[in-house]
Amino acid sequence: MKRSTIVTWTMIAVGVVLMVVSYFFLATPWCNTAVECSNPRVPFAPAIFVLGVLIAFSSAVYYAVAKD
Amino acid sequence: MTTATDTQLPQGIGRLSRGWIAFFLGAAVLFAFGIVGYIYEQGQGMVATGMRDLGAMQGATWGLYIAMVVYFIGVSFAGVTVAALIRLFDIEKLKGVARMAEVLTIVALVLGALAILVDLGQPLRGIVNLFRYGRPQSPFFGTFSLVVSGYLFASLVYLYVTSRPDAARLAQRPSRLQGLYRWIAAGWEDTPEQRAKDRRVTFWLAITILPLLVVAHSTLGFVFGLQVGRPGWFSTLQAPAFVTLAGVSGIGHIIVLAAIVATVLKAKDRIRLDAFIWLGRFLMVLLFVYLYFTIVELLTTMYQPTEHEKVLSDALLRGEYAWIFWGSLAGLAIPALMLAWMALTRHWRVSWLVVASILVNLAAIGKRYLIVVPSQTHGQLLPYGIGSYSPSWVEYAVVIGLFGLGALAIGAFMKLFPIIELEEGEA
Repeated sequence: MKRSTIVTWTMIAVGVVLMVVSYFFLATPWCNTAVECSNPRVPFAPAIFVLGVLIAFSSAVYYAVAKD
Repeated sequence: MTTATDTQLPQGIGRLSRGWIAFFLGAAVLFAFGIVGYIYEQGQGMVATGMRDLGAMQGATWGLYIAMVVYFIGVSFAGVTVAALIRLFDIEKLKGVARMAEVLTIVALVLGALAILVDLGQPLRGIVNLFRYGRPQSPFFGTFSLVVSGYLFASLVYLYVTSRPDAARLAQRPSRLQGLYRWIAAGWEDTPEQRAKDRRVTFWLAITILPLLVVAHSTLGFVFGLQVGRPGWFSTLQAPAFVTLAGVSGIGHIIVLAAIVATVLKAKDRIRLDAFIWLGRFLMVLLFVYLYFTIVELLTTMYQPTEHEKVLSDALLRGEYAWIFWGSLAGLAIPALMLAWMALTRHWRVSWLVVASILVNLAAIGKRYLIVVPSQTHGQLLPYGIGSYSPSWVEYAVVIGLFGLGALAIGAFMKLFPIIELEEGEA
Protein backbone atom coordinates (compact mmCIF):
# COMPACT_ATOMS: atom_id res chain seq x y z
CA MET A 1 0.00 0.00 0.00
CA LYS A 2 1.27 3.46 -0.87
CA ARG A 3 2.35 5.84 1.86
CA SER A 4 -0.23 8.48 0.86
CA THR A 5 -3.01 5.89 1.08
CA ILE A 6 -1.89 4.82 4.54
CA VAL A 7 -1.72 8.41 5.80
CA THR A 8 -5.12 9.20 4.28
CA TRP A 9 -6.80 6.22 5.94
CA THR A 10 -5.06 7.05 9.21
CA MET A 11 -6.40 10.62 9.06
CA ILE A 12 -9.92 9.34 8.36
CA ALA A 13 -9.66 6.83 11.21
CA VAL A 14 -8.32 9.43 13.67
CA GLY A 15 -11.07 11.86 12.64
CA VAL A 16 -13.85 9.29 13.04
CA VAL A 17 -12.47 8.08 16.38
CA LEU A 18 -12.33 11.66 17.67
CA MET A 19 -15.90 12.25 16.54
CA VAL A 20 -17.24 9.04 18.09
CA VAL A 21 -15.31 9.35 21.37
CA SER A 22 -16.14 13.03 21.87
CA TYR A 23 -19.79 12.53 20.93
CA PHE A 24 -20.52 9.47 23.07
CA PHE A 25 -17.94 9.57 25.87
CA LEU A 26 -16.65 13.12 26.39
CA ALA A 27 -19.67 15.33 25.71
CA THR A 28 -22.74 15.78 27.88
CA PRO A 29 -24.17 12.38 28.91
CA TRP A 30 -27.39 11.18 27.32
CA CYS A 31 -29.55 11.76 30.38
CA ASN A 32 -31.71 14.48 31.85
CA THR A 33 -32.16 13.43 35.45
CA ALA A 34 -29.26 15.14 37.21
CA VAL A 35 -27.12 18.24 37.19
CA GLU A 36 -24.30 16.12 35.76
CA CYS A 37 -26.40 15.74 32.64
CA SER A 38 -26.01 19.44 31.88
CA ASN A 39 -22.28 19.80 31.37
CA PRO A 40 -19.82 17.91 29.17
CA ARG A 41 -17.66 15.32 30.93
CA VAL A 42 -14.61 16.94 29.34
CA PRO A 43 -14.62 20.69 28.65
CA PHE A 44 -14.62 21.57 24.96
CA ALA A 45 -15.77 18.07 23.94
CA PRO A 46 -17.77 19.60 21.05
CA ALA A 47 -14.56 21.24 19.83
CA ILE A 48 -12.93 17.79 19.77
CA PHE A 49 -15.85 16.55 17.66
CA VAL A 50 -15.38 19.42 15.23
CA LEU A 51 -11.62 18.71 15.14
CA GLY A 52 -12.44 15.13 14.16
CA VAL A 53 -14.63 16.38 11.30
CA LEU A 54 -11.86 18.69 10.10
CA ILE A 55 -9.18 15.95 10.22
CA ALA A 56 -11.40 13.46 8.38
CA PHE A 57 -12.13 15.87 5.54
CA SER A 58 -8.54 17.16 5.45
CA SER A 59 -7.55 13.64 4.42
CA ALA A 60 -9.09 14.38 1.01
CA VAL A 61 -6.78 17.36 0.55
CA TYR A 62 -3.78 15.33 1.66
CA TYR A 63 -4.63 12.45 -0.66
CA ALA A 64 -5.15 14.78 -3.63
CA VAL A 65 -1.94 16.74 -3.04
CA ALA A 66 0.41 14.00 -1.84
CA LYS A 67 2.98 12.72 -4.29
CA ASP A 68 3.31 8.94 -4.37
CA MET B 1 -6.57 48.70 -13.90
CA THR B 2 -5.38 46.45 -16.69
CA THR B 3 -1.87 45.24 -17.42
CA ALA B 4 -0.61 43.51 -20.51
CA THR B 5 -0.10 40.26 -18.68
CA ASP B 6 -3.53 40.17 -17.03
CA THR B 7 -5.31 40.39 -20.35
CA GLN B 8 -4.18 36.85 -21.03
CA LEU B 9 -6.27 35.42 -18.22
CA PRO B 10 -9.64 34.00 -19.28
CA GLN B 11 -13.11 35.04 -18.08
CA GLY B 12 -11.99 38.60 -17.34
CA ILE B 13 -9.97 37.55 -14.32
CA GLY B 14 -7.87 40.35 -12.86
CA ARG B 15 -9.54 43.02 -14.99
CA LEU B 16 -11.97 45.59 -13.68
CA SER B 17 -14.26 47.31 -16.14
CA ARG B 18 -16.38 50.31 -15.12
CA GLY B 19 -19.36 48.03 -14.71
CA TRP B 20 -17.45 45.84 -12.31
CA ILE B 21 -16.20 48.83 -10.33
CA ALA B 22 -19.80 50.07 -10.04
CA PHE B 23 -20.88 46.59 -8.94
CA PHE B 24 -18.19 46.39 -6.25
CA LEU B 25 -18.96 49.92 -5.04
CA GLY B 26 -22.67 49.15 -4.85
CA ALA B 27 -22.09 45.91 -2.96
CA ALA B 28 -19.59 47.66 -0.65
CA VAL B 29 -22.16 50.37 0.15
CA LEU B 30 -24.71 47.69 1.09
CA PHE B 31 -22.13 45.92 3.20
CA ALA B 32 -21.13 49.18 4.89
CA PHE B 33 -24.81 49.84 5.68
CA GLY B 34 -24.88 46.47 7.42
CA ILE B 35 -21.74 47.28 9.37
CA VAL B 36 -23.28 50.58 10.53
CA GLY B 37 -26.39 48.71 11.66
CA TYR B 38 -24.35 46.11 13.50
CA ILE B 39 -22.16 48.70 15.24
CA TYR B 40 -25.33 50.45 16.36
CA GLU B 41 -26.73 47.14 17.62
CA GLN B 42 -23.56 46.38 19.54
CA GLY B 43 -23.54 49.87 21.05
CA GLN B 44 -27.19 49.91 22.09
CA GLY B 45 -27.59 46.21 22.81
CA MET B 46 -30.24 43.89 21.42
CA VAL B 47 -32.90 46.44 22.37
CA ALA B 48 -31.96 48.14 19.10
CA THR B 49 -33.61 45.26 17.29
CA GLY B 50 -37.33 44.50 17.21
CA MET B 51 -36.78 41.33 19.23
CA ARG B 52 -38.12 41.08 22.75
CA ASP B 53 -38.55 38.30 25.30
CA LEU B 54 -41.33 35.78 24.87
CA GLY B 55 -44.24 35.68 27.24
CA ALA B 56 -44.31 38.65 29.60
CA MET B 57 -42.75 41.00 27.04
CA GLN B 58 -44.97 39.53 24.30
CA GLY B 59 -42.23 39.53 21.73
CA ALA B 60 -40.10 37.11 19.74
CA THR B 61 -36.53 36.22 20.64
CA TRP B 62 -35.88 34.85 17.16
CA GLY B 63 -36.67 37.23 14.36
CA LEU B 64 -35.42 38.23 10.96
CA TYR B 65 -31.85 37.13 11.70
CA ILE B 66 -32.80 33.55 12.47
CA ALA B 67 -35.16 33.50 9.47
CA MET B 68 -32.14 34.52 7.37
CA VAL B 69 -29.95 31.88 9.03
CA VAL B 70 -32.40 29.23 7.88
CA TYR B 71 -32.67 30.86 4.45
CA PHE B 72 -28.91 31.16 3.84
CA ILE B 73 -28.19 27.64 5.04
CA GLY B 74 -31.02 26.50 2.78
CA VAL B 75 -29.43 28.24 -0.20
CA SER B 76 -26.18 26.41 0.51
CA PHE B 77 -27.95 23.06 0.15
CA ALA B 78 -28.48 23.12 -3.57
CA GLY B 79 -25.05 24.40 -4.47
CA VAL B 80 -23.08 21.47 -3.23
CA THR B 81 -25.90 19.04 -4.11
CA VAL B 82 -25.76 20.08 -7.74
CA ALA B 83 -21.96 20.03 -7.70
CA ALA B 84 -21.93 16.56 -6.16
CA LEU B 85 -24.57 15.22 -8.57
CA ILE B 86 -22.57 16.55 -11.50
CA ARG B 87 -19.47 14.66 -10.32
CA LEU B 88 -21.30 11.51 -9.28
CA PHE B 89 -23.37 11.07 -12.42
CA ASP B 90 -21.03 12.89 -14.77
CA ILE B 91 -23.77 15.25 -15.98
CA GLU B 92 -21.84 16.93 -18.76
CA LYS B 93 -24.41 19.66 -19.50
CA LEU B 94 -24.18 21.03 -15.95
CA LYS B 95 -20.41 21.25 -15.73
CA GLY B 96 -20.57 24.95 -16.56
CA VAL B 97 -22.44 25.67 -13.33
CA ALA B 98 -20.54 23.27 -11.04
CA ARG B 99 -18.04 25.73 -9.66
CA MET B 100 -20.49 28.58 -9.18
CA ALA B 101 -22.69 26.13 -7.28
CA GLU B 102 -19.76 25.24 -5.01
CA VAL B 103 -18.92 28.91 -4.44
CA LEU B 104 -22.56 29.72 -3.75
CA THR B 105 -22.65 27.00 -1.09
CA ILE B 106 -19.60 28.36 0.71
CA VAL B 107 -20.71 31.99 0.55
CA ALA B 108 -24.23 31.08 1.74
CA LEU B 109 -22.88 29.03 4.64
CA VAL B 110 -20.61 31.86 5.76
CA LEU B 111 -23.53 34.30 5.55
CA GLY B 112 -25.67 31.85 7.55
CA ALA B 113 -22.99 31.62 10.24
CA LEU B 114 -22.69 35.42 10.35
CA ALA B 115 -26.47 35.74 10.64
CA ILE B 116 -26.27 33.57 13.76
CA LEU B 117 -23.52 35.75 15.22
CA VAL B 118 -25.37 39.03 14.68
CA ASP B 119 -28.32 37.52 16.52
CA LEU B 120 -26.18 37.17 19.65
CA GLY B 121 -25.70 40.06 22.01
CA GLN B 122 -22.27 38.66 22.89
CA PRO B 123 -21.10 36.70 19.87
CA LEU B 124 -17.72 35.73 21.32
CA ARG B 125 -19.37 34.18 24.34
CA GLY B 126 -21.70 32.31 22.02
CA ILE B 127 -18.85 30.84 19.98
CA VAL B 128 -16.79 29.81 23.01
CA ASN B 129 -19.74 28.31 24.86
CA LEU B 130 -20.89 26.37 21.84
CA PHE B 131 -17.55 24.60 21.64
CA ARG B 132 -17.37 24.29 25.40
CA TYR B 133 -20.85 23.20 26.46
CA GLY B 134 -22.63 22.07 23.28
CA ARG B 135 -24.94 19.10 23.98
CA PRO B 136 -24.90 16.35 21.34
CA GLN B 137 -28.55 15.65 22.13
CA SER B 138 -29.53 19.12 21.01
CA PRO B 139 -30.39 19.76 17.36
CA PHE B 140 -28.36 22.96 17.73
CA PHE B 141 -25.24 20.88 18.21
CA GLY B 142 -25.92 18.89 15.05
CA THR B 143 -26.84 22.01 13.12
CA PHE B 144 -23.86 24.07 14.03
CA SER B 145 -21.24 21.32 14.23
CA LEU B 146 -22.39 19.59 11.05
CA VAL B 147 -23.47 22.62 9.06
CA VAL B 148 -20.97 25.24 10.05
CA SER B 149 -17.92 23.06 10.64
CA GLY B 150 -18.44 19.82 8.73
CA TYR B 151 -20.49 20.97 5.79
CA LEU B 152 -18.62 24.25 5.27
CA PHE B 153 -15.24 22.62 5.61
CA ALA B 154 -16.21 19.72 3.34
CA SER B 155 -17.44 22.21 0.73
CA LEU B 156 -14.18 24.15 0.96
CA VAL B 157 -12.21 20.94 0.49
CA TYR B 158 -14.42 20.01 -2.44
CA LEU B 159 -13.95 23.42 -4.07
CA TYR B 160 -10.20 23.25 -3.51
CA VAL B 161 -9.77 19.78 -4.99
CA THR B 162 -11.86 20.59 -8.06
CA SER B 163 -10.08 23.93 -8.56
CA ARG B 164 -6.51 22.63 -8.66
CA PRO B 165 -6.46 21.68 -12.37
CA ASP B 166 -7.60 25.18 -13.38
CA ALA B 167 -5.13 26.77 -10.97
CA ALA B 168 -2.32 24.72 -12.52
CA ARG B 169 -3.31 25.86 -16.00
CA LEU B 170 -3.52 29.51 -14.93
CA ALA B 171 -0.19 29.27 -13.09
CA GLN B 172 1.52 28.69 -16.42
CA ARG B 173 0.55 32.20 -17.54
CA PRO B 174 2.49 35.21 -16.28
CA SER B 175 0.15 37.39 -14.24
CA ARG B 176 -0.09 39.20 -10.92
CA LEU B 177 -2.03 36.22 -9.63
CA GLN B 178 0.48 33.61 -10.73
CA GLY B 179 1.78 33.05 -7.20
CA LEU B 180 -1.75 32.47 -5.92
CA TYR B 181 -2.48 29.95 -8.67
CA ARG B 182 0.79 28.09 -7.99
CA TRP B 183 -0.14 27.88 -4.31
CA ILE B 184 -3.62 26.56 -5.08
CA ALA B 185 -2.35 24.11 -7.70
CA ALA B 186 0.13 22.72 -5.16
CA GLY B 187 2.08 20.81 -7.76
CA TRP B 188 -0.88 19.49 -9.75
CA GLU B 189 0.25 17.85 -12.97
CA ASP B 190 -1.94 16.76 -15.82
CA THR B 191 -1.17 13.05 -15.66
CA PRO B 192 -3.57 10.09 -15.88
CA GLU B 193 -2.64 9.14 -12.29
CA GLN B 194 -3.48 12.61 -10.95
CA ARG B 195 -6.77 12.71 -12.85
CA ALA B 196 -7.70 9.28 -11.52
CA LYS B 197 -6.82 10.46 -8.02
CA ASP B 198 -8.94 13.60 -8.42
CA ARG B 199 -11.88 11.51 -9.66
CA ARG B 200 -11.59 9.22 -6.63
CA VAL B 201 -11.39 12.13 -4.20
CA THR B 202 -14.33 14.05 -5.66
CA PHE B 203 -16.41 10.86 -5.90
CA TRP B 204 -15.88 9.96 -2.24
CA LEU B 205 -16.30 13.56 -1.12
CA ALA B 206 -19.60 13.73 -3.01
CA ILE B 207 -20.70 10.41 -1.49
CA THR B 208 -19.86 11.80 1.97
CA ILE B 209 -21.28 15.28 1.51
CA LEU B 210 -24.71 14.29 0.14
CA PRO B 211 -25.90 12.35 3.22
CA LEU B 212 -24.13 14.85 5.47
CA LEU B 213 -26.11 17.73 4.07
CA VAL B 214 -29.43 15.87 4.31
CA VAL B 215 -28.64 15.17 7.97
CA ALA B 216 -27.51 18.75 8.52
CA HIS B 217 -30.62 20.30 6.99
CA SER B 218 -32.92 17.85 8.71
CA THR B 219 -31.25 18.73 12.00
CA LEU B 220 -31.91 22.39 11.30
CA GLY B 221 -35.56 21.42 10.83
CA PHE B 222 -35.42 19.56 14.16
CA VAL B 223 -34.43 22.82 15.91
CA PHE B 224 -38.06 23.77 15.35
CA GLY B 225 -39.75 20.43 14.76
CA LEU B 226 -38.76 18.89 18.10
CA GLN B 227 -40.16 21.68 20.26
CA VAL B 228 -43.28 20.12 21.72
CA GLY B 229 -44.42 23.23 23.55
CA ARG B 230 -44.57 25.48 20.52
CA PRO B 231 -47.63 25.17 18.25
CA GLY B 232 -46.69 25.37 14.62
CA TRP B 233 -43.20 24.03 15.14
CA PHE B 234 -43.78 20.53 16.49
CA SER B 235 -44.22 18.56 13.29
CA THR B 236 -42.80 15.51 11.57
CA LEU B 237 -42.79 17.39 8.30
CA GLN B 238 -40.41 20.12 9.49
CA ALA B 239 -37.22 18.22 8.59
CA PRO B 240 -38.21 17.04 5.08
CA ALA B 241 -39.87 20.39 4.36
CA PHE B 242 -36.67 22.17 5.40
CA VAL B 243 -34.61 20.04 3.04
CA THR B 244 -37.05 20.56 0.17
CA LEU B 245 -37.38 24.33 0.57
CA ALA B 246 -33.61 24.50 0.92
CA GLY B 247 -33.38 22.85 -2.47
CA VAL B 248 -35.94 25.25 -3.94
CA SER B 249 -34.16 28.40 -2.80
CA GLY B 250 -30.71 27.04 -3.64
CA ILE B 251 -31.58 25.88 -7.16
CA GLY B 252 -33.29 29.24 -7.70
CA HIS B 253 -30.08 31.01 -6.71
CA ILE B 254 -27.98 28.87 -9.04
CA ILE B 255 -30.30 29.66 -11.95
CA VAL B 256 -30.07 33.41 -11.28
CA LEU B 257 -26.30 33.29 -10.78
CA ALA B 258 -25.81 31.15 -13.90
CA ALA B 259 -27.88 33.57 -15.97
CA ILE B 260 -25.88 36.54 -14.67
CA VAL B 261 -22.54 34.81 -15.25
CA ALA B 262 -23.54 33.64 -18.75
CA THR B 263 -24.49 37.21 -19.66
CA VAL B 264 -21.62 39.05 -17.98
CA LEU B 265 -18.91 36.69 -19.24
CA LYS B 266 -20.65 36.19 -22.60
CA ALA B 267 -20.50 32.48 -21.88
CA LYS B 268 -23.81 31.25 -23.22
CA ASP B 269 -21.95 28.54 -25.10
CA ARG B 270 -20.56 27.23 -21.78
CA ILE B 271 -23.78 27.53 -19.77
CA ARG B 272 -26.21 26.35 -22.36
CA LEU B 273 -30.00 26.25 -22.34
CA ASP B 274 -30.01 22.53 -21.56
CA ALA B 275 -28.27 23.29 -18.24
CA PHE B 276 -31.03 25.76 -17.37
CA ILE B 277 -33.68 23.23 -18.44
CA TRP B 278 -32.17 20.58 -16.16
CA LEU B 279 -32.12 23.03 -13.25
CA GLY B 280 -35.64 24.22 -14.09
CA ARG B 281 -37.02 20.66 -14.04
CA PHE B 282 -35.26 19.96 -10.75
CA LEU B 283 -36.70 23.18 -9.31
CA MET B 284 -40.18 22.27 -10.55
CA VAL B 285 -40.13 18.85 -8.89
CA LEU B 286 -38.90 20.32 -5.59
CA LEU B 287 -41.53 23.07 -5.76
CA PHE B 288 -44.40 20.61 -6.21
CA VAL B 289 -43.10 18.43 -3.39
CA TYR B 290 -42.85 21.47 -1.11
CA LEU B 291 -46.34 22.66 -2.07
CA TYR B 292 -47.63 19.18 -1.25
CA PHE B 293 -45.98 19.39 2.19
CA THR B 294 -47.50 22.84 2.73
CA ILE B 295 -51.01 21.67 1.84
CA VAL B 296 -50.72 18.56 4.01
CA GLU B 297 -49.48 20.64 6.93
CA LEU B 298 -52.24 23.19 6.44
CA LEU B 299 -55.01 20.61 6.22
CA THR B 300 -53.71 18.79 9.29
CA THR B 301 -53.61 22.03 11.26
CA MET B 302 -57.06 23.18 10.13
CA TYR B 303 -58.90 19.85 10.36
CA GLN B 304 -59.34 19.76 14.10
CA PRO B 305 -56.94 22.21 15.69
CA THR B 306 -56.33 22.66 19.37
CA GLU B 307 -57.15 26.09 20.75
CA HIS B 308 -53.51 27.18 20.47
CA GLU B 309 -53.08 25.81 16.96
CA LYS B 310 -56.21 27.69 15.91
CA VAL B 311 -54.85 31.01 17.18
CA LEU B 312 -51.73 30.42 15.14
CA SER B 313 -53.46 29.28 11.95
CA ASP B 314 -55.86 32.25 12.17
CA ALA B 315 -52.89 34.62 12.39
CA LEU B 316 -51.35 32.95 9.36
CA LEU B 317 -54.44 32.61 7.19
CA ARG B 318 -56.34 35.79 7.95
CA GLY B 319 -54.43 37.68 10.63
CA GLU B 320 -51.35 39.87 10.69
CA TYR B 321 -49.16 37.31 8.88
CA ALA B 322 -51.69 36.56 6.15
CA TRP B 323 -50.06 38.82 3.56
CA ILE B 324 -46.74 37.05 4.02
CA PHE B 325 -48.39 33.62 4.03
CA TRP B 326 -50.48 34.11 0.91
CA GLY B 327 -47.73 36.11 -0.77
CA SER B 328 -45.25 33.31 -0.15
CA LEU B 329 -47.69 30.66 -1.29
CA ALA B 330 -48.30 32.61 -4.50
CA GLY B 331 -44.53 33.05 -4.84
CA LEU B 332 -44.19 29.27 -4.84
CA ALA B 333 -47.33 28.29 -6.76
CA ILE B 334 -46.93 30.74 -9.67
CA PRO B 335 -43.34 29.66 -10.45
CA ALA B 336 -44.41 26.01 -10.13
CA LEU B 337 -47.10 26.60 -12.75
CA MET B 338 -44.69 28.59 -14.94
CA LEU B 339 -42.18 25.75 -14.83
CA ALA B 340 -44.86 23.12 -15.44
CA TRP B 341 -46.07 25.11 -18.44
CA MET B 342 -42.55 25.36 -19.84
CA ALA B 343 -42.01 21.64 -19.25
CA LEU B 344 -45.28 20.66 -20.91
CA THR B 345 -44.84 22.91 -23.94
CA ARG B 346 -41.08 22.19 -24.04
CA HIS B 347 -40.60 25.90 -24.58
CA TRP B 348 -38.00 26.94 -22.02
CA ARG B 349 -36.89 30.54 -21.65
CA VAL B 350 -34.03 31.58 -19.40
CA SER B 351 -35.70 34.91 -18.61
CA TRP B 352 -38.81 33.10 -17.28
CA LEU B 353 -36.63 30.75 -15.30
CA VAL B 354 -34.87 33.73 -13.72
CA VAL B 355 -38.21 35.35 -12.85
CA ALA B 356 -39.44 32.06 -11.34
CA SER B 357 -36.20 31.71 -9.38
CA ILE B 358 -36.39 35.22 -7.94
CA LEU B 359 -40.03 34.63 -6.96
CA VAL B 360 -39.26 31.35 -5.20
CA ASN B 361 -36.43 32.98 -3.28
CA LEU B 362 -38.62 35.84 -2.10
CA ALA B 363 -41.22 33.24 -1.14
CA ALA B 364 -38.56 31.16 0.65
CA ILE B 365 -37.56 34.18 2.77
CA GLY B 366 -41.25 34.70 3.57
CA LYS B 367 -41.73 31.04 4.49
CA ARG B 368 -38.63 31.05 6.69
CA TYR B 369 -39.94 34.14 8.45
CA LEU B 370 -43.29 32.42 8.97
CA ILE B 371 -41.62 29.32 10.38
CA VAL B 372 -39.61 31.35 12.88
CA VAL B 373 -41.80 34.23 14.06
CA PRO B 374 -45.57 33.47 14.34
CA SER B 375 -45.11 30.43 16.59
CA GLN B 376 -43.40 32.72 19.10
CA THR B 377 -45.88 35.58 18.99
CA HIS B 378 -49.06 33.49 18.59
CA GLY B 379 -47.96 30.04 19.75
CA GLN B 380 -48.09 30.48 23.50
CA LEU B 381 -49.24 27.55 25.62
CA LEU B 382 -48.87 29.60 28.78
CA PRO B 383 -51.56 32.22 29.50
CA TYR B 384 -49.72 35.20 28.01
CA GLY B 385 -51.32 37.55 25.54
CA ILE B 386 -50.72 37.57 21.81
CA GLY B 387 -47.30 38.97 21.04
CA SER B 388 -45.92 40.92 18.12
CA TYR B 389 -42.67 41.40 16.31
CA SER B 390 -41.51 43.65 13.53
CA PRO B 391 -37.86 43.99 12.56
CA SER B 392 -36.18 47.32 13.30
CA TRP B 393 -34.10 49.25 10.77
CA VAL B 394 -31.00 47.73 12.38
CA GLU B 395 -32.09 44.21 11.43
CA TYR B 396 -32.95 45.24 7.88
CA ALA B 397 -29.59 47.02 7.60
CA VAL B 398 -27.63 44.01 8.81
CA VAL B 399 -29.48 41.64 6.48
CA ILE B 400 -28.93 43.99 3.53
CA GLY B 401 -25.28 44.13 4.58
CA LEU B 402 -25.08 40.34 4.50
CA PHE B 403 -26.44 40.30 0.95
CA GLY B 404 -23.87 42.98 0.06
CA LEU B 405 -21.10 40.86 1.56
CA GLY B 406 -22.31 37.83 -0.41
CA ALA B 407 -22.29 39.82 -3.65
CA LEU B 408 -18.80 41.13 -2.86
CA ALA B 409 -17.51 37.62 -2.14
CA ILE B 410 -18.91 36.10 -5.34
CA GLY B 411 -17.74 39.11 -7.39
CA ALA B 412 -14.26 38.92 -5.87
CA PHE B 413 -14.08 35.20 -6.63
CA MET B 414 -15.01 35.89 -10.25
CA LYS B 415 -12.17 38.39 -10.52
CA LEU B 416 -9.62 35.99 -8.99
CA PHE B 417 -10.56 32.59 -10.35
CA PRO B 418 -12.61 31.08 -13.20
CA ILE B 419 -16.23 30.79 -12.04
CA ILE B 420 -16.75 28.43 -14.99
CA GLU B 421 -14.37 25.49 -15.18
CA LEU B 422 -11.78 25.99 -17.89
CA GLU B 423 -11.91 23.83 -20.98
CA GLU B 424 -8.85 22.15 -22.43
CA GLY B 425 -6.57 24.86 -23.84
CA GLU B 426 -8.75 27.76 -22.62
CA ALA B 427 -6.05 29.11 -20.32
